[in-house]
Amino acid sequence: MLTAVVTRGATGFDVAFVPQADGGAGDMTYEESLDFCEFPFEEAEFADQYEATGYPCEEGPSPILPEAKELLWGGGSFVVFLVLMRFFLYPKLRKGMDARYAKVEDGLEQADAARAAARAEVTEYEAALATVRAEAAERVDAARATLAGERETRLAEVNAEIAAQREAAMAESRAAREAAEADVRSAVTDVTSKVLELAIGRAPAEQVDAAVADVMNSEVRS
Amino acid sequence: MEALSILAQVAEPADFGPIGAGIGYGLAAIGPGIGIGYIVGKSVEAMARQPESAGMVRTTMFLGVAFTEAIALIGFVVAMLVQ
Amino acid sequence: MLALEFPPLNEILRWRDLFPTFNKVAMIAVAAALIGSLIFLIAARQDGSKAPKGIRNFAEMLVEFVENQIIMPAMGRSGMGWTPFLLTLFIFIYLCNLPGIVPVLYMPATARMAIPLFLAVVVWLVYVGVGLKHQGLGYFGHMIAPPGVPAALYPLIGPIEILSNLIIRPFSLAVRLFANMLAGHILLVTFSLLTEELVFEGDNIVFRILGVLPFVMLILMTVFEVLVGFLQAYIFTILAAVYIGSSAHPEH
Repeated sequence: MLTAVVTRGATGFDVAFVPQADGGAGDMTYEESLDFCEFPFEEAEFADQYEATGYPCEEGPSPILPEAKELLWGGGSFVVFLVLMRFFLYPKLRKGMDARYAKVEDGLEQADAARAAARAEVTEYEAALATVRAEAAERVDAARATLAGERETRLAEVNAEIAAQREAAMAESRAAREAAEADVRSAVTDVTSKVLELAIGRAPAEQVDAAVADVMNSEVRS
Repeated sequence: MEALSILAQVAEPADFGPIGAGIGYGLAAIGPGIGIGYIVGKSVEAMARQPESAGMVRTTMFLGVAFTEAIALIGFVVAMLVQ
Repeated sequence: MLALEFPPLNEILRWRDLFPTFNKVAMIAVAAALIGSLIFLIAARQDGSKAPKGIRNFAEMLVEFVENQIIMPAMGRSGMGWTPFLLTLFIFIYLCNLPGIVPVLYMPATARMAIPLFLAVVVWLVYVGVGLKHQGLGYFGHMIAPPGVPAALYPLIGPIEILSNLIIRPFSLAVRLFANMLAGHILLVTFSLLTEELVFEGDNIVFRILGVLPFVMLILMTVFEVLVGFLQAYIFTILAAVYIGSSAHPEH
C-alpha cells in the first residue's frame, strides 16, 4: 500500500508516495508475523515476498487456482479408492447382495409355486366336489325315478288286485244268486210236481218244468 | 523531507476492484435467481398435479437447478478473479 | 472499537503443510478415500447371505441409492455396470464436502479447485472414452452434425455442440462443485467472524446481544451446508451419469 506524504518544501508542497506495510506489520520479522497469520502457506516459497509486503497471508496465488500438491494427493487417493472399489470391495459386496437377492427370489418363486399348487389343489377339490355333487344329484334323481316307478307299479298292482277282487266278488254273488235261483226253481218244480201228483195222481209232465221255469223267469226276475 | 513536518497523509485512492466484483456478482446472480425460482415453482406445480411422478420430476429439477446455478457460480468465480 | 476485518481469502483456504506437500486438504482427501474403503471393506467382510446389519446395511443402502436414484433416471438399466465408478465418485465427493461442517476440520476439501478439477477431468476422460468406444469417430461426427437438425444449421450448431460437450461440460462440472463449496465455506467464515466480533470483542451490551443473530444464522447455514454437501455430490454424480449415458447412447 502506498501512502501519500505531503510535506512543505521550499517551493510549496511536495507530495511523495512512500510504500508502507499495512496492518502494522512493517517492522515484524517473518516469524513474528506468523502469529497474525494463522495458516500461512509454504513458508520458504513466499519468504522473499514477505520481505516486500510484510504480511505473508496477504499475497499468494489466486485462491481459485488448483495447487499441484492438492491435485496430486486428492487425485491419488481418489484413484486408489476407485481401484479398490472397482476391483475388490464392490464385487465382493455385490456378490453377497446378488446371492441374497437370488435366495429371496428363489423363496419368492417357491412361494409362487406353492401358491400355484395350492390353487391347483383347490380347483381339483372343487372339480371333485362338483362331480360328487352331480353324482349325488343323479342318484337322487334315479332314486326318485325308481320310487315313482315302484309307486306306479304298486298302484297298478293294487288297482288290479282290487279289480280282481271286485270281479271275484261279483262272480261269487252271481253264482250265489244263480244257485239260489236254481234252488228256488227246483224247489218250486218239486212242490208243483208233488202238488200235481197229489192232484192228478201221476208224475208231472215235462210241461210243468217248462211252465215253472217260464213263470220263474217272468215273475222272479220282475 | 525528514526535517519537514508532515502536513497530511492521504491514502492511495481506494481500490474499486472488490466493489466492481460485488456488482458483477450481483448482476450475474439475477438471471439464475429468476431461473431457479421458475424451475422449482414449475416442478412443485408438476408434483402437485401428478404426485406419482414426483421422483422423476425431482431428479430433473435438480439437474435443471444445477445447470442454472452454474451460471451464478461462474459469476462468483469471476468476481473472485477480478477483485 | 468494533472492527470487522475479513481475512484475505488465502488465509481461510490455504493451510500450513503438516509435512512437505501434505496439507489439510490432502489429509481430508486421503481420509475420505480411507473411510470410504474402510466402510466397504467391513461391509464386504460381513456375511452377505443373511439380512444385512450395521455397516453392511449402510453400504448396501448407498449402492441402492446410486442404482435407483442416479443410474436408473440418468442411464437406465444398461448403465448398471457403472455402479462402482459412480458410487466411488459419490462417496468421495460427499466425504470431501462433509469436513466443511465438521468441527475442528471446518474445511471442505472440494473448496479448493484441485479435487473438483481432477474429478471433472476423470469424468471427461471417461465419457469421451465411452463415446469413442461406442460410436467410434462418429462420436465427434454426431457433435458436428447432430441428427435431427437441418443441415443448414450445422455450422451454427456444430461449434456450439463441440464447445458444450468438450469444454463447458467438464468446466461447469468442476466449477459448480468448487464454487458451491467455496461459497458455503466463505459464508460460514463470515458468520463465525461476525459472531465472534460481536459477542466476544463487542464493548457494548447491545453488540453482545446482537451477536446472537449471526450465531443463529451460522447454525442455519451449517444445516444448509449439510444439504448442499449432499446435493453437490449427488448432482456431480448424476451429471457424470448423464454424460456417460449420452455418450453410450446418442439417441437419448
